[in-house]
Amino acid sequence: MSFFGFERSNLEQEKKKFLEGGLQETEDLAVYTWGEESYDGLGDALLEGGDELNDETFGETGAVGKDFDFTSQTLPTPIGATRGRFTPTAEPSRERTPVVERTEPASNSRDRGLSPAPKSLESIWDDKSPFSMLSRTAGHQRVPSNLMKSPFPPSRSPALNAYVDHRPLSQQQPISHGINQTGVRTLQEIEAEMRAAQQKRKLQEEMLLQVQLQQELQREEELRRQEESHRQEEFRVQELERQDLQRLQQEHLLADRMRARLEQEQQLRLQQQVRMSTPRVVPHLAPSPRFNQQHQHQQQILLLQQEQERQQQERLKDLQERLRMEELERQLRAQQLSQLQQQQPNLLARRQSPYADTQRRTHSPVIDSQYALFNQQNIQYMPQSIQLQQRLLSEMAQVEFMRDMQGISQAEQEALRVEAMRKIMETERMEERRRRKAAKIAHMSRYNDLMTQSDKDFITRIQVSQLVTQDPYAEDFYAQVYGAILRSRLGLQSQDERVIKFGSSGGVGLGLAQKGSGRRQSAMQKMEAQVERIVNNARLREKEKGLHSLHSLQGALGKTSGRSYKAAPRQLLQVDASSATPTMSGTHPHISKEDGNGAAQEAAKLGREALGQAAGSDGVVRKDPLTQRQTLVVLEGLYDLVLNIEQLRRDQPLEEDEEDGEAFVSWSATYNDLVEQIWMNLKVMLPLETSDPHPFVSLLTPVKGKKILPRLSRHIAPPRMLTLLTLLVACFSQLDVVKRAAILDSPEETPERQDVERQTQAFLGSVLQSILPVVAKAELRVITGLLGLLLDRTNIVVSAQTRPGIAMLTLFLSRVEIVKQGMSSAQESSEIPTPAEAQQWQTMFDHLFQLLMPHFVLLFPSTRLVTQPLTVAAPLPPTDILDQPVWQFLAALALHASSDQQSILVTSLREKVLDIVTSISKGWVADEEERQTKLANVNLFLHALGLDSSQISV
Amino acid sequence: MDPSSSGIQEPFDLIRLSLSERVFVKLRGDRELTGVLHAYDGHMNLILSDVEETIMIVDPIEGGIDGHGTVKVAKRKMEMLFVRGDGVILVSPPSRT
Repeated sequence: MSFFGFERSNLEQEKKKFLEGGLQETEDLAVYTWGEESYDGLGDALLEGGDELNDETFGETGAVGKDFDFTSQTLPTPIGATRGRFTPTAEPSRERTPVVERTEPASNSRDRGLSPAPKSLESIWDDKSPFSMLSRTAGHQRVPSNLMKSPFPPSRSPALNAYVDHRPLSQQQPISHGINQTGVRTLQEIEAEMRAAQQKRKLQEEMLLQVQLQQELQREEELRRQEESHRQEEFRVQELERQDLQRLQQEHLLADRMRARLEQEQQLRLQQQVRMSTPRVVPHLAPSPRFNQQHQHQQQILLLQQEQERQQQERLKDLQERLRMEELERQLRAQQLSQLQQQQPNLLARRQSPYADTQRRTHSPVIDSQYALFNQQNIQYMPQSIQLQQRLLSEMAQVEFMRDMQGISQAEQEALRVEAMRKIMETERMEERRRRKAAKIAHMSRYNDLMTQSDKDFITRIQVSQLVTQDPYAEDFYAQVYGAILRSRLGLQSQDERVIKFGSSGGVGLGLAQKGSGRRQSAMQKMEAQVERIVNNARLREKEKGLHSLHSLQGALGKTSGRSYKAAPRQLLQVDASSATPTMSGTHPHISKEDGNGAAQEAAKLGREALGQAAGSDGVVRKDPLTQRQTLVVLEGLYDLVLNIEQLRRDQPLEEDEEDGEAFVSWSATYNDLVEQIWMNLKVMLPLETSDPHPFVSLLTPVKGKKILPRLSRHIAPPRMLTLLTLLVACFSQLDVVKRAAILDSPEETPERQDVERQTQAFLGSVLQSILPVVAKAELRVITGLLGLLLDRTNIVVSAQTRPGIAMLTLFLSRVEIVKQGMSSAQESSEIPTPAEAQQWQTMFDHLFQLLMPHFVLLFPSTRLVTQPLTVAAPLPPTDILDQPVWQFLAALALHASSDQQSILVTSLREKVLDIVTSISKGWVADEEERQTKLANVNLFLHALGLDSSQISV
Repeated sequence: MDPSSSGIQEPFDLIRLSLSERVFVKLRGDRELTGVLHAYDGHMNLILSDVEETIMIVDPIEGGIDGHGTVKVAKRKMEMLFVRGDGVILVSPPSRT
């Protein structure tokens, strides 16, 4: 576009000239003289880039390329040739003052074209004015209408001229042509010729100009008409818009006034409903702070009406502005949408079509669409009926209001106004709340339909794929067990395991069964179905894919997981814990295995010689007792075994099923193997003398050792349990709870005492619990043997002063009592002991009684506590609960005792009983609960003797 | 064939042995815990019950040399505690007397 630059335009222009005339003399022309010295820099104002805007800059006038073409057609002969060549420096000074030139009205150029303005070639060459060309070609050029209207040519006019000019140059090409031909003629000849030519040219030019002028005028007329119509249209649109705005404004005013004057909430509700239907408009139409402001003003309604109106105006202006902005945004969106339209036609169809419409309109789409929007809003905002209704209501209200204002007293008015205000405020609050709610909903629904169903499925798939495990039950263990407990507590018998299993490859634990709302239930079911589908699909895909994609891990131990979701982080190598070791958790695979084997072998070797002949057998390998850590290691192994065996129990196949017969055989083999391992690890079969404490006792030392016993004993056969019990009784004094029981008699609260307390509780709760069923089925002679063993192996006086000891003895005595009752009820069964056995028992009991007789009082923890030297300051803790087992034991003892023994018993305990009875009857015991406990304790013992505490008189 | 050596394969096995035992835990910030260990994980997050926490508070004496000050010991007890693993310095069985 640079028409002034020499170098740049040279090529372009030459090419054009060549195309038009093919003449080589064109360089003589004064075309390039612009912009040397007097170059006014107008070229800088040119738009160097953005040629694509040319159409906007020039294109409006239409046929740029045509308007000078006619000259070359109608002027076949080079009229201006001689003039251009032979007019010497007639007006060089004028030519050199471009200012004068420029200020010349454009219409003058016609005259200048007519008047011979002789220019030498040099002058033309030297002519630096951009109008030098203009002057020569002014007659042919068409000045754009907008330029003609402006008194000053705008800065871009030179560019325009130049642009227009480059075609007319071709007219002047014959000039130079003529020069070459008439090179030898005389001046006179030339002058004559010139004059003639000038004459001729003048005529022709005049004609030409007339024609041209006519055409130009016509075109101008046309243009003006176009512009006129355009402007009219614009005006019309603006008018429409203004009308609309006014209407809206009026309606607004109406609404506000009504609200101010009326006490009718109905009116407001109507409006609210209307607004409700157009939530988009509401934020613009009713910004609450302004409303509040208004309500303050409404106290002086009439006075402030003007003010309100002004506010309304402002608001409307504001609104208008905002709407325009919004509209622009919307348009942009609409454009995007229309681009999208080709790809997703249905998407657009879902959206509102008006946007697309506005886009299709060619001129001033902003105003247009705004206009459309206004109409829309009006329609939405005020449906015809409501509008009418409102108007009527407002009129009615106005009449009423006027009457009221005149008729009623000031106080009443005031009251009414207050009431109105209150209602208005209330409504406003409601409105505010509703708006907040609507905004919240809008906020929440911002992202509605952002994801397609397949997107959601994809994400669910990723999430669910993380849940699939080899052993769903174990992975979800606690939830499963808890669920089972809950179900059993509720008496429900639903399915055993809330697990989705997928063949052998894995499954998903479902956690607790969902109760309650049906929605969640169905969601869970849906999830289950989806999970199942997903996993099946994944398996299929994996099969198809094979293992070729996982070659990178070839040779690695463990199995690679074929995963299809790169997005989800997941371990690539899964070491199968169950295949590596029999333990369940992969992290500790080695504890039980090696130790189990070693210990089993050892135990088997030692067990053979030690079994049955506990005491004094030769060849017993004495060992150091298990260290703390060894004990713990063994226990961990046991826990692994227990977990395994419990898992195995859950997987137990049906014995009856014939198909599963084989499976059952292999299952039971595994089960038995595990049981055997457990038994070996318990080290029960080691000879008694192996160590002190016995390894089994060492295992019982930690709390977890005590607690595992009930879980193990379920799997151990009764004969073995009897062996275990025997070992326990034989090593009773070695037990930590027996050895350290004295600490419990200390009234001081120390961590050590707490620990012993904890251990004792665990022992009573777990160990005794697990041997209870064994004792409960034991025959009399077994009990006799056990009691004998206890008396033989332990210091019974010390043992009986411990809670485990008391508990054990009570257990034995009550079992014998039951056996005796069975005897007396003459049940014919194999359990009825022979008289010899009964005799043995009696002997043993007498022995026990003899041993304990001097220490009956000391059996009570309360008594021992009092005898402690440190009890001076410390207040006595309530000991009655602690004494309870002792009373129980003594009662059991009393049942078995002969009358002599009973009297001994009563004599030794007389003081104790009297003490308690006195304290109760004298009311020394303040606490009712404590009193009851004491009484119950005493009665427990006395009832065994056939007495009662009420018989004792103090 | 020493089970105590063969049974332990990784450091966490040692902690595993202390499950449901009383342990001593040293924490960052001059804190110590003793409690019964119920659970742990790879981050050494611990769940302890019956916990006693001992906090050493060093009060620097004004004008004294650096590093000298009175050490106050604050203790508190908690029934159940979750210990975040990043604060754990050591876990050990309590010293047996």
